[in-house]
Amino acid sequence: MKGLFTVVVSAAIVAALSVSVSAQWPSYPRPGIPKGADGKPNLRAPAPRTPDGKPDLSGIWMRTNRTEAPGTAPAGQPPLATFGDIGYGFKEGLPYRPLAVDLVKTRAGALDNPDALCLPQGPLEYHLDPQPREIIQLPQKIVIVYESNYGIRTIYTDGRRLPPQGEPQPYWHGYSVGRWEGDTLVVQSNNFRGALTGLPGDGWLDGKGDPFTDALTLTERFRRVNFGNLQIDVTIDDPKAYTRPFTVRVEQEIVADGSEMIEFICHENQKFLKLTGREP
Amino acid sequence: MKLTLAVLVAAGLLLLAGSATAHHSFSAEFDATKPVKLTGSVTKFEWTNPHAWIYIDAKDESGNVANWGFELAAASGLMRSGWTRLTLKAGDVVTIEGTRAKNGSNNANAQTVTLASTGKKLFAGANDQAQQP
Repeated sequence: MKGLFTVVVSAAIVAALSVSVSAQWPSYPRPGIPKGADGKPNLRAPAPRTPDGKPDLSGIWMRTNRTEAPGTAPAGQPPLATFGDIGYGFKEGLPYRPLAVDLVKTRAGALDNPDALCLPQGPLEYHLDPQPREIIQLPQKIVIVYESNYGIRTIYTDGRRLPPQGEPQPYWHGYSVGRWEGDTLVVQSNNFRGALTGLPGDGWLDGKGDPFTDALTLTERFRRVNFGNLQIDVTIDDPKAYTRPFTVRVEQEIVADGSEMIEFICHENQKFLKLTGREP
Repeated sequence: MKLTLAVLVAAGLLLLAGSATAHHSFSAEFDATKPVKLTGSVTKFEWTNPHAWIYIDAKDESGNVANWGFELAAASGLMRSGWTRLTLKAGDVVTIEGTRAKNGSNNANAQTVTLASTGKKLFAGANDQAQQP
């Protein structure tokens, strides 16, 4: 009897929680989501593929909340980055040049974090923000729409090459081209604005203020491990800020409950400048 | 039995906490060493981004009533945690636990909001502390 009561109460709580979560958000489960025997989405099913046989990265993705203690990444795997500190997994810290050391010191109060200023986030902030992002994979390009801070990024997969550094004007999101290496999408980006503009919000990789400059070449290796999981290994190659390139890993999970992105207008009720004494 | 319930409720809160999102630089605005807990009547509920705000009339230590502002998560993040724009309205009595603003003003960052009428405790999730530096 007690066991039955526990089951009933548990079911009621679970039901109450699911209602409170989903009822506020029009749910429209997408077709083609693989289901397990229990009728729930099977996140370990194989990754879907596009008609040309490439893995299809399309979907709405949330970063996972998993973190690793510094120095504990399994052998051969890049350490996991966190939203606040992409170098969290490195026991010895990131390979800063003096420029980066100075910038991180200057940024200690996090007053010019682009995330806080409602400006476009840095490339790792976009990958790690707790708000979702939607990948839309088209035959000639991949578009990523980030819910946070007005992020829209185009990755050209039509065979074009990366332009020379400094040729197009530098962009907040850089200029990105992608190609497939087997089942891994390799995206290279350059022509970023960066910390050397001296403008607030430019050149932040994370909330701590680890910098990047206009010399950054970013390489992202996207691998959809299965239906539910995406791994992105990000290599920062920025000879002005770091003594050598380094790589961190980002993990994301598919949103399979039919929920969608939600409008986020960051300047709607922005009080950050007021609370930090820079606006009356 | 009580333990089972407690565990389930805790698990539920954790799930919700995981989905409530954060936005801004917590340490730039708030002083983690200054917790605050106030009970008062809601005067205004701003269902906005990048953060929702609750304003309440609450008594301070000396018994004077003052208006306090509490920053919550983004409206979008609160929606994922089960809040709606109708969750609170002017006149509702709430108890809010949070962290005071660094600038000493009557503002704070809310962690939990408890509705007096139902005793329901809502995670306000104004910050993503798990992944903040």
